Amino acid sequence: MQLKQAIEALRPLQGEVIPIRTVQETRPPEEFADAYAAEVNVKAASKVVKALDSAFPRDPALSLGHLRRFSKRENLPAPLKAAIEEDRSFSKTPAQTIFVLISPPVPDLDQVQAVLAPFAPASSPSARNTPSDASSPELTTPKINLIPTKVPIQPPFNITQAENWSNNLWPVVFNAAAPRATIAPPPQVLNRAQEHISTQAGYYLSLARKVAEEAEQSGHGRGVGAVIVDPAIETHIDAISWGADWNPRDRWMEAVVAVGGDARYGRGEAGAPSQKDLHPGLVPNPASTTYDADLEGGPDLHALMRATELVARRRREDAVHEAAMESLTPPAIVATDPQLSTQLSPLESYFLYDADTPSAHPPPEPSSPKKRKHEEPNPEIRATQVEISDDTDPQSISSAPLPAPPPSTTALADPIIAARTNAPEWPSDPFSDSTIPPSSRIRTRAQGGYLCTDLDVYMSHEPCLCCSMGILLSRFRAVIFPRSGRMKSGGLASEPVGPTTDEESAHNESVVATDTEDERLYYGLHWRKELNWRALGFEFVEEADGVDGHEGVAFHA
Amino acid sequence: MDPPSAECELVPSTVAEDSRHSYFMKQALLMGEKALQSGETPVGCVLVHNDRIVGSGMNDTNRSMNGTRHAEFLAIAELLQTYPRSTLQSTDLYVTVEPCVMCASALKQYRIRSVYYGCANDRFGGTGGVLSLHSDVSLDPPYPVYGGLYQKEAIMLLRRFYIQENEKAPNPRPKKNRELNTRFEDEEVLPPIS
Repeated sequence: MQLKQAIEALRPLQGEVIPIRTVQETRPPEEFADAYAAEVNVKAASKVVKALDSAFPRDPALSLGHLRRFSKRENLPAPLKAAIEEDRSFSKTPAQTIFVLISPPVPDLDQVQAVLAPFAPASSPSARNTPSDASSPELTTPKINLIPTKVPIQPPFNITQAENWSNNLWPVVFNAAAPRATIAPPPQVLNRAQEHISTQAGYYLSLARKVAEEAEQSGHGRGVGAVIVDPAIETHIDAISWGADWNPRDRWMEAVVAVGGDARYGRGEAGAPSQKDLHPGLVPNPASTTYDADLEGGPDLHALMRATELVARRRREDAVHEAAMESLTPPAIVATDPQLSTQLSPLESYFLYDADTPSAHPPPEPSSPKKRKHEEPNPEIRATQVEISDDTDPQSISSAPLPAPPPSTTALADPIIAARTNAPEWPSDPFSDSTIPPSSRIRTRAQGGYLCTDLDVYMSHEPCLCCSMGILLSRFRAVIFPRSGRMKSGGLASEPVGPTTDEESAHNESVVATDTEDERLYYGLHWRKELNWRALGFEFVEEADGVDGHEGVAFHA
Repeated sequence: MDPPSAECELVPSTVAEDSRHSYFMKQALLMGEKALQSGETPVGCVLVHNDRIVGSGMNDTNRSMNGTRHAEFLAIAELLQTYPRSTLQSTDLYVTVEPCVMCASALKQYRIRSVYYGCANDRFGGTGGVLSLHSDVSLDPPYPVYGGLYQKEAIMLLRRFYIQENEKAPNPRPKKNRELNTRFEDEEVLPPIS
C-alpha cells in the first residue's frame, strides 16, 4: 500500500472538540481595592454623581462599570449594614438617604467631604442647622458619613462571584458578555472555530498520531506528531464540493500543509553520533524509556517546532523572499540545521513536497482516483514509497533511505556565503537551488503567507511550555490535541480533568492551581491576557476515553 | 523594570565593578546591534562556558520566516556544534532582553546554569516578566536569573528598532512622525518584544 493510500485509509478519532478554558475562566482573578460608601440625601443622587465625576475624574485604565454607583441601605452587604447599625451618626431615617460609592483610587477624604457636603442627608444628626451645633463653627460644614469597604476591580466572571461580592463587599452587576472581552476569546469567534474544527479534527489528529508513530518507530524521536492545517484550504475544498458528487471529508488531507514528527534523538551533538545512530534498528529508542535531560535533544527538535520550521523553510524557498533577504546584512549564524528540517521522514516529505493545492486538480473520480503528479523528481519523495499501515514492520520505516544527515559540526567559514546561497551544504535538499513547485499548499510571502498566521495545528500530545509559546509566536489560529495526550509538562491545559466543572464548582476551586493526583501546573498558555499573542485552544475528548492524560515516562512533548 | 525577586537583583554598583559580566553583556549587545542592522528585533545573546563565549545568537525571525528563531535558540545551536548538551549545565546566558516564555522554558529544558539579562520583558517575559518559569516546578530544576545589566543600552536598541516601520508585517503601520526617545524615567515602560 502506498503512503498516499495509507493516509486515505486513516480512520478518524471519534469524539468531541471542546474549548480549553482560559486560566482567568478557571481561576477568576480576584483583585480588590479600597473604597468608601458615603451616605447622601437620596433626592440629590444625580447631583452627587455629577459632583463626584467632575471633582475626581475616573481613571480610564480602571473599568469599574460592574460596580453599582448607589445602594439603598437595605441593599448594602451585610457587613456594611452591621457596621452602620453600630454607628449612631448615620441617618435615623434610611428611606431618605442613599449610599454612593467612592470608588478607587480613593481621593483625599477631606476633599470627598467638601464635595459631598451640599448633599448631606437632610435628617443627618450632623447636618447643617442642627440647633445644638449652631454655635460650633467647624460644624457649619456638615459631616458626611463614610464607611470603608473593598471592591473588586475586575468585573465578576460568573453569577456566583457576583453574588458573593454583592453580599460581602458592594453591590455589583453581572454582565455575561462583558468580562469575556479581556480574559477569553469572543464567544462568536470561539464557537465558529469550534464548529469548523469539529468536522475534521478526528482525521487530523489521527494523522498526528500516525506521524507520532512514525517518529517513534524510526528511532528519531519520541512518539509525538504535529499536523499543520490551513483552514482556508478546508473552506475551499468545502466550496468546490458543492454540486459535486464527492464528500469534502474524503479530501481532508488536502488541507494539510505540513506535518512534523519529534526528532529529539536525531541530532548529533559536537560531532558525536546521535541517540538514533547509537541504537540502530532499536525501536522505540532506548533513550525514551526514561527522562534523562542529556538525551532529550532539545525543544527545537519537538514535533511542533519542526513542523513550524518546515512551513518556514518552504516559505524561505520563495524567490521573492530570497531576493529581499539578500539586501539585508546576513545573520552571523545560518550554517546549522538545528531542527533537522532537511532530514524529512516519509510523511513529512509527502506533505511538504508531494502534495499540491486542491484547486490544481479536478476532484477525484470515486471509481478511479487520479494519482497526483509532481513536476520534478524529488529524492525525498522516493523515500515515501514505503508502506505505512497498521501492520507496518517498524524496520521498514527506520531503514527508509532518509537523506544523509547534514554535517552538523561543519560551520561554514563565510556566513555571508551561507546566507546568500541558502546553505548549499545540504545536498539532499532538492529545492535548495531551484524553483519551488508552483503548486505548494504553503502560501508564499507574496501570497500573504506570514509565519503561521491563520493556520491550525493538531498535536498528538499537549505541547510543552516551550512549544506552546512557540505556537503563539508563530501566530497559529488554533491548537488542538486529544485529552488523552495531556502531559504533566504541558503548557495548554488550564484545569484538571474532573467531573463536569460548572461555573459554581469552578469558582469554589478557584485557588486550586495543581492537581493533587498528579501534580502539574496549569498554564493555559493559549489565551493569557498578559501575553501579546493568543490562539484558540481545543481539546479533543474521545468517545469511551478512559485515559485523561499521557501515561508512562514524563517528558516534554 | 521589575526584577523577578530580591535575590535575583543585581546591584548596579556591583555590576559596574564586575568587568566580567560587563564584558559578556557587551558582547550580547553587539549581537543585538547586528540584529538591528539585519532588520531583526534587536535581541542578542552569548553563552559563556569557563569564561569563554561558546555560542552567540541574535533574533532571526524575519530572515528565517520562523517566529520561534529567537537569539537563545541560535546560540544553543551554535554551542551544540562543538559541545554536548550537558555543557549547558555549566554555561551561563547573557541576553539583552529577558528571555520570553518560550526561551525561558527551553533554557530550563536545556538546563542552563544561570541567566543574566538587560531589560525586562513585560509582554512575553518568562523569567519574571509575565511568568516565572525559571523557578516554577517542572521536570527540570530551576535556574537563577539576574536582571538589569546594561538595561538602558538594551532598551535603546529596542527603541531604535520600533521607530522603524515593519515592512514584513501584513499591515505596516506608518511611523513617520516618531522620534527616538532617549529619556529614561524611573518607571520604564518597555516596547513590545516579539
